[in-house]
This record gives sequence, structure tokens and C-alpha cells, in this order.
Amino acid sequence: MATSRNHGRSAMTRLKSVLVIAFIGAYLSALSFGTVAHALKVGLCGNTLSFYVVWDMFCGWTAWDARTHLIAEGASGQYYDVRAPWGEFHPFGHLARIHHDNTNDLLPRHIQNVLRHTAHEPIDRVYTIEEVWPKQYNLPPGLYDEHFGRPNDKLSYYHLRAVFRDDGTPMSIYPDWHAKQKLQAVYDNPRLRRQSANATSLFSTLYNPSQARAGSTLNTSMSAGLSTN
Amino acid sequence: MNPPPAENSPRTALGRFFFARETPYGMALLRIVLPLAAGVPMTMRFPFVRELFTTDGSPVQLFEMFRQGSVLPVLTPAVAVPLYGIMLLCMLTSIVGFRTRTSLWVTTVLYLYFNALDGVGTLTKYSVIASHMLLLLSLSHAGSVWSVDAFLKKRSGDVNVLPPRFPVWPARLVQLLFAFIYFGASITKIQTAEFFSGEQMRYWMLSDWNYENPVGEIVAMSSPLLLISAYLSVIWEVLFAFLVWRPRGRIVMLGAGAMFHFMTWLTLGLYVFPAICLSGYLAFVSEQDILRLRRISVLRPIRAAIRLPALAVSRVADIFPQTVPAGVVWICLLAAAAIGATEAELQMDIYQSRSEAGLLKLMPIDRDIALTMLRDKTPVREHDKFFNFEIGTSTIGYQLSNRRTDYSVGDTMIAQCNLNPPHEDMWVECLLQDDEQRTIEQFGQFVPRESLRANFFYTVDSKLVAGRYSMVLKSANQEIYRRHFSLSGNSTPQIFDVSTN
Repeated sequence: MATSRNHGRSAMTRLKSVLVIAFIGAYLSALSFGTVAHALKVGLCGNTLSFYVVWDMFCGWTAWDARTHLIAEGASGQYYDVRAPWGEFHPFGHLARIHHDNTNDLLPRHIQNVLRHTAHEPIDRVYTIEEVWPKQYNLPPGLYDEHFGRPNDKLSYYHLRAVFRDDGTPMSIYPDWHAKQKLQAVYDNPRLRRQSANATSLFSTLYNPSQARAGSTLNTSMSAGLSTN
Repeated sequence: MNPPPAENSPRTALGRFFFARETPYGMALLRIVLPLAAGVPMTMRFPFVRELFTTDGSPVQLFEMFRQGSVLPVLTPAVAVPLYGIMLLCMLTSIVGFRTRTSLWVTTVLYLYFNALDGVGTLTKYSVIASHMLLLLSLSHAGSVWSVDAFLKKRSGDVNVLPPRFPVWPARLVQLLFAFIYFGASITKIQTAEFFSGEQMRYWMLSDWNYENPVGEIVAMSSPLLLISAYLSVIWEVLFAFLVWRPRGRIVMLGAGAMFHFMTWLTLGLYVFPAICLSGYLAFVSEQDILRLRRISVLRPIRAAIRLPALAVSRVADIFPQTVPAGVVWICLLAAAAIGATEAELQMDIYQSRSEAGLLKLMPIDRDIALTMLRDKTPVREHDKFFNFEIGTSTIGYQLSNRRTDYSVGDTMIAQCNLNPPHEDMWVECLLQDDEQRTIEQFGQFVPRESLRANFFYTVDSKLVAGRYSMVLKSANQEIYRRHFSLSGNSTPQIFDVSTN
């Protein structure tokens, strides 16, 4: 017909139609799952593919700015800055990639990679230091003076976050600065300190029912000084 | 024999929504712009391919960040680098529309792979959005117009003068994708505490995590602006899905969206995210829109300019004899890209492992600086627990909305301090002092650890005379802030009759 504008191949085959409809249904179902799961907080934990259907951009920012520093201690006692000497990559602005490592999965690999590709003496350990400061000090001088009326006496606070071996194996890991502040605020309570000192340890098996049934006598806590229920 | 097209047109509204036939101008525009927006940051990563994406670097997969192990294979540089070069080339061939569908599929697969391989420094929500759009482009007929493929098809003797038409469902899915994105983002904001009081936006605008944002730093200090923009953005995100498919609603919703993304560039220093989102808006361009634009005579010079790439393509295509299949040319280009990428990366030699001087040295750090950082036990200064302290007379959304330095008798002054969480439970005081720092009034209150601000209300009464005063914020017996103000009005002192027993 004269109105035909699709070159005689206008109709989809029945199979193609079914596949297209199935894809549309599956795609929209996936997007819907992401929205519902995000709203109700179900089905997301450990679900990697949920990252592609959950739109949690802007889920919170802190009042403190933070940077990560890696300091290696050599066998001679010299300290080194564990930073890529070939140039750091800035993925989303002017901060190096290591500063975006919120889950701390990059830290050991970054240490290993930098140490493997640089010339240096034997390294005893690598310290991860968190540097934090309040964000109001990021304002330019004019704006700061206008709004705060006090000197911009920015002070960075440094907090030891972890200690690694030279191959990236963690030796010690500590709570991050924010968690430490919250813990300190809770612990700064004499009543809570007294109660926790008198309480049963969190990491002790007091009684093992299955072993007791099996006739084992080693089914109570062997730690001295603990009170039992 | 195929039935006439009129019998194939969908009968239901839903059917017409997904399967009406149009020339895919919108998807063609998306095909041209999206690989450019997504390709620029990937091109910037090319010098660091070895470090970010290979066994000779430090990739961290998205699956590992979700504690599901290393699901994706991490390739050696000999394989990953040429693949990266092929990805960049396919982005380019997608833009020009050469072997479009194959180019888009290769781009989609490799883009997904490389992004998922670096969950720390490459994968982010804008690359997730781009991945979705690349997938939908791969399923569309985006290469049927405004492309080298269309030109070659015409050159090979396809005499149809009218552009082809296809079901619109790929464009609809891109449009629905944005509806879900914005609705999901609104849920995130609704669930985020302190978004509607402005603190979250303020903290983001003051962060030095993205590119420079001088406008954002100014806006961050205006609580009313933050609050109004917070509500407007959520309202727009919720309404988007319900209005964007209406004729006038489309203009309003897309216009507001363009403004929203423009503001994220201006106030947050985001470059790539707004570029990718705005490229996705091109999927909303319909066949009717293009026909309307073509009727606007003012745009004729632009149309002439737009024809220049087509002219360039025809000149380039004339170099290749028509007997050389386009697929062969494309494969040769891929091979050239793979070889070129490998050679370029080897020449760059990011680790300098092949240089005559050998490996680069680890930079020493001054011992005192290192020990200062390692042994720092400095407690948080009292004034660092506070963001600011202001005095005014009105609030919007629990935030002080005006800053005043002149008051009259009868005004109710609000002295508000904002705190920087996390902080402990605090006792905070506010003192009213005269210009000789004599304390007139003193008020205090507990500020529990979950509070982000504390307000002190003071009604200026006739006890004060005209002159200069200060509101002083104190915490842990330290003066934190001092705000001066003037009191105007009757300077006659009040006389009291003192009664005695």
C-alpha cells in the first residue's frame, strides 16, 4: 500500500513479539523490584545485581571531610608515603581513588600494588591513617569570614585505622573515626561501664547443649572471673 | 503476503504505547550523545588501564564489595588493554553509526565488564544508568537513521526515500527507566534523615569530593534555599512518572529535569552524571518533534550545518570501494584499535618498569610528620563540634531563615547553633551580654547526641536599653561563638520600686 513505510517487513514474527514482550516484562519487573526492595529494605543484602536497579544516589553525607593516608615503615625506621609515584588517578574530581574506598576493599590491594611496582627497602608494616576535619573549613576565606566571624583555624584529626603487612595482609583493624566517636559517647557513661564490666563476656560459650547430651564435660566457659547466668 | 500495516497496529493503549511505529530519531540522538558522555570518562581512564582493570593492578570488583567473591575474571594486561581499546573504538563507531548494532553490543558488554571490575573508582550510578541505556540502544534500531549504516544502505541501492519506522518500545523503556530512577531517588531522599532540614545538602555542597562548586558553597550557607530545593526536587521526582507522558507535562518535567541536572553541575561539581542523564532525555524526542523542528525556518542554517558530518562520511566512504564489505572494514578497525591500544599502553609504561632508571622510588615522608599522624590523640576541639551559631527571628523547616543584627523591644530572638555529628551528649549555654561583657541573662540546655541543632528563644523586653549586646554560645565552659546585635528604641532606663519585708 502507498502508506506502507516500513519496506514490506513491517510485521514482527510471532516469536519475536513474544520475546520482546517477555523482555519488556522482565526489564520492568527488575526495575520494579529495585524500587520496592529499596523502599521496604528487603532482598538487597548481598545482592550485587541490586546495584543496577536500586537508585540510592545521595544516601547521606557526613559533617566531616575525610582523607586516607598510607604510611609505610621501612626496616631502617624510615617512613614512606604509599602513594603511586607514577601519578594517582582521580576518578570523580580531584581526589585519588583510595579516598573513595568506603568499604576498605581497595586498601590491601592498593598497598600491594604500589609496593610491588616501586623501589624501596624492606617494609615492616603499613599504617592506614584517617584524616578528618569539619567541613565548614572548606569554605573559601571570604564566605567563611562572612558567616562564621571567627578565624579559620582548621585542625585535622588523625586516626589510626588499620595496620597491614607489606603484602596487604591486615594485622590490626580499628573502628573508623565516626564509629569511634559514637562508641566513646556511649562509653562515657559510668553506669554503662559498670554494667558492661559486670556482665557476661560476649564471646564465650557458656553451655553447649549438644555436647552436654554427648556426655562432654567441656561445655562450660573456662574463663576465670566471669559470672554466669 | 504481509497484511496491510493498518491491521498490524496495536489495538490497546498499552500496545500503542510500546508498539506504535515511529522513526527512531530519539534513539538515534541518544546513540550519538550517550557514548560520547560515557566515553569521555572511560577515555580518561585509559592511561590507568593496567592499574584499574588488570591482574597487574588493583581492581576491586563490585561482587567483592557485596561479599560475593571474585565472580568476574580479571584479565592480564595483554588481553584487557586491547579489549579496552576495542570498547573505546566501538563507542566511536556507535556515535557515527557504523555497524551500529554490533558496535553497541560490544560497547555494552565491555562497558559493563570494566565498570563492574573497578567498583571503587569507575562504577558509580552514572555508569549504571549508562549501562541500562547502552543495553536498550543495542536492542533498538538506533542506527537506521543519521548513521553511516543508513548512508551505506542508501549507497547500495535502497531507494526508499522515507525513513524506516520501528516499534517504539526501546525508547519507551529508556523513558520508563528514568521514571524509575527518579522515583527511586525520591524514596532515597525521603528515607534519608536530615534531607528535608537541609543538613545533608549542605554537607554535600561543602565536600571537596567532586569538581569545584563555588556556587554550591554559597547555596550551602542558605538554609531556606536548601529546604525549598529539597522539597521541589522530591516533588518533581515523584511527579515525573505521572506527567512526563502528557503533552504539556513532558515539557515541564523534562525542563525541570534539565534544570535539576544543571544545578547538580553548578552546586555539586558533578560533570558526567548530568551529561549522561541529559543524554537520556533525548529518548523522549519523538518523530513528531523532529517533523515540527524541520518546519521551523529559523533552524534551516542549523540543518545545513548538521548535514556536514553526512558530507564528511560520504567523502570518507568514497575512499573505500563498494566491493569491500562494511563488516570487513569494521573488523579491521577493531584490530587496529586493539593493536593501537596495546602499543600506546606499552609506550606509556605506567609503572616505568621498562625505563632505564628502573622502578620509581617510594617517596619518603618526614619522620615528624609521620609520627604526628601516627600518634595523634588530639581530642576534638569544642568549637569543632559546632557548625555555626546564628541569631535571627524566623525559621523555615527548623532552620534559622534570617540573620539579623538589629532588634527592637518585643522581638523574639532565636539563637540557633548547628552541630557537627557525631558528638556526645552536651550541655550548651547561651549568654546575653552587654557591650562591656556583663552577663544579663544565661540559659542552658542539654543537647543529646542525636540532635543536630539547639535553639534558644529570647524575647527582648524593656529590661534592656538601646545599645550593643552579644549572644554568646558556650560549651564545656568555653566560648564558642559570639554574635553581636544592636537594640534600638527607648533608651530610658527602667526604674523598679523595691519592696522590702
